[in-house]
Amino acid sequence: MLAQASMPAIEIHGLSHWYGEGALKKQVLFDIDLSVARGEVVFLMGPSGCGKTTILTLLGALRSVQKGEVRVDGVELFGAGEKQVVACRRKIGFIFQNHNLHRSLTALENVRMGLEAQGKRLAVDADARCLAMLAIVGLADHAHKRQDKLSGGQRQRVAIARALIADPKIVLADEPTAALDSTTGYEVIALIRRLARERGMSVLMVTHDNRILSLADRIVEMEDGQLISAQTPASHIGRSPAPADNSLNTGEVTIS
Amino acid sequence: MSFAARILGRTPLGWLQLVHHPMRFAMALAGVSFAVILVFMQLGFMNMLFDTTVMFHKQLKADIVLVNPAARNLIDIRTFPRRRLIQALGVEGVADGEAFYIGQVNWVKPGTSDRGIILAFGVRGDFDVFHTPGVTALQPGLSVPGTALFDTGSRGDFRAFSKLIADGARPTTEVAGKTIQFDGIFRLGASFGSEGSIIVSDQTFFAISPKALPTTPNLGIIRVESGHDPEVVAQRIAAVVAGEDVKVMTMQQFITTSRNFLSRESPIAYIFSFGVMMGLVVGIIIVIQILSTDVQDHLPEYATFKAMGFTNRSLLSIVYEQSAILTVFGFVPGLIASLVCYELVRGAVSMPIAMPLDRVFLVFGMTAVMCFIAGTIALRRVSKADPAEVF
Ligand SMILES: Nc1ncnc2c1ncn2[C@@H]1O[C@H](COP(=O)(O)OP(=O)(O)OP(=O)(O)O)[C@@H](O)[C@H]1O
Ligand SMILES: [Mg+2]
Repeated sequence: MLAQASMPAIEIHGLSHWYGEGALKKQVLFDIDLSVARGEVVFLMGPSGCGKTTILTLLGALRSVQKGEVRVDGVELFGAGEKQVVACRRKIGFIFQNHNLHRSLTALENVRMGLEAQGKRLAVDADARCLAMLAIVGLADHAHKRQDKLSGGQRQRVAIARALIADPKIVLADEPTAALDSTTGYEVIALIRRLARERGMSVLMVTHDNRILSLADRIVEMEDGQLISAQTPASHIGRSPAPADNSLNTGEVTIS
Repeated sequence: MSFAARILGRTPLGWLQLVHHPMRFAMALAGVSFAVILVFMQLGFMNMLFDTTVMFHKQLKADIVLVNPAARNLIDIRTFPRRRLIQALGVEGVADGEAFYIGQVNWVKPGTSDRGIILAFGVRGDFDVFHTPGVTALQPGLSVPGTALFDTGSRGDFRAFSKLIADGARPTTEVAGKTIQFDGIFRLGASFGSEGSIIVSDQTFFAISPKALPTTPNLGIIRVESGHDPEVVAQRIAAVVAGEDVKVMTMQQFITTSRNFLSRESPIAYIFSFGVMMGLVVGIIIVIQILSTDVQDHLPEYATFKAMGFTNRSLLSIVYEQSAILTVFGFVPGLIASLVCYELVRGAVSMPIAMPLDRVFLVFGMTAVMCFIAGTIALRRVSKADPAEVF
């Protein structure tokens, strides 16, 4: 157990990735090394097309790893079979740029899908749990609304509740604030950060949003498929005045 | 949690997706119902045909029949030599027997000047051979030449005429140029081949059917002594009368052969089966269309679910859940509409069309298979939902 606890939640070594076949084959990730400790909130930043989303999809077992080692909560994804892939996805809470809620379902039912994704029968207290989760994201009064009755910020918060309901060890988020106004964006990320603290979740979040940088324990920057720097928000904050909270920065990071 | 979610232990996504698009759902149900109605009507007509074919057979108090080997049906029944019947009467185990005559005759429909064709059954007045209610009591009276019993189930409006007969008014009409007096009624019903029927004595039969001869009956009726197995006796008779001119059958064989002739050797069964297939194909096409559209619409959601850890299998079950819903909710209105149609048909053609329970189950099964196949085709797209595309 101790070994488990000290092991990073995410470990990437020598990860490379290519898209396309034959003459169209194009390398988009070059020999990436990155690890995220338990409870750490890491932002992944970089220009469009540099490969951020690709890293998230590889980490989330949504794409197969072509070269390199990717360990998520100790499970090696290189060459993983169907079973491990599904098991890995179930450990992760995904927050997408687009909320991707199901149109036919209420907020509560959408959150409940996060429990169903675990592959077990719904427990009798499932709805109570989901309601409590919705209350945490401030949507207790909107539990029975469908997405067309919710604002953009509310939808994204439902998506967060859905990502967190099954107590994931890891949260992967891709520009979760893109569709939100700046206040809501900040609140939503602050919420994720608070939950990460409380639950010991690791968060790897792709963002372009300068207003929320102070919420990161660590910021990793990419360019053209390579990591170029690792820094605490403080060094980044030369450009952004928000104060940083680094008290819980447990990152033991290696960047090559 | 909704009742369904509690029972299933999961959200009834298939159902929720269907009811979320009420128009599409209604169309899918209409498609399934339509297929169900088509299938029920085809099966109804087919069985109506089969049932009416042996409707007459079932009225006969007979254990064994003699018939021309080339006989096809009542209309084309042909004849055989009466001496075969007499030979058969001498066989051990035979109690009694009689010659039976069947022929189409033209007649003037009572109360009109319209001519029509009706089936005449001729048998000695004192030979009690009909199960048909009422006939046993009336039949002896037919020994008076020129009298007949009328089938009130004949196709057409004979209510007034039937009432006259029932009231004892003894109305007459022209049958094959002779004036025939109607002394009683029975109920058999029309079939595809005949508009209706009358029962007369053998003597009256020869009078209205000039080509018929006493020496060449159409059917030989044989009854076995109690305690004898008709099948064994039939074999004994066959051994005695063996030849090309007559065929010996137990009543059961007679019924099955007549039914089978239609279902196997005539194209009728093919035609109706084709109709059934068409109904199912139409249903499959509509259901595929609707379910595929639903899958296509929800691909991003399915991809999201996969990313969250749903297995392919659990997503496929959404589509099968929809198949099951369409089966049940499309079948029930289809069944109800079919019952209404059966009632309309029964009124229109004076033929029995019933909805036996086994047909209900059969068509339900066909509907389930239809929706299952459609679902299986529609869900191939589910695997196209790529979780890597959702970020
Ligand atoms: N499915 C794909 N097939 C081929 N090439 C792809 C595919 N997905 C991404 N790419 C390419 O790979 C590179 C990295 O893409 P990726 O989506 O990871 O970038 P990103 O950093 O997330 O960009 P953005 O900030 O615009 O979201 C880009 O050049 C992109 O065009
Ligand atoms: Mg991206």
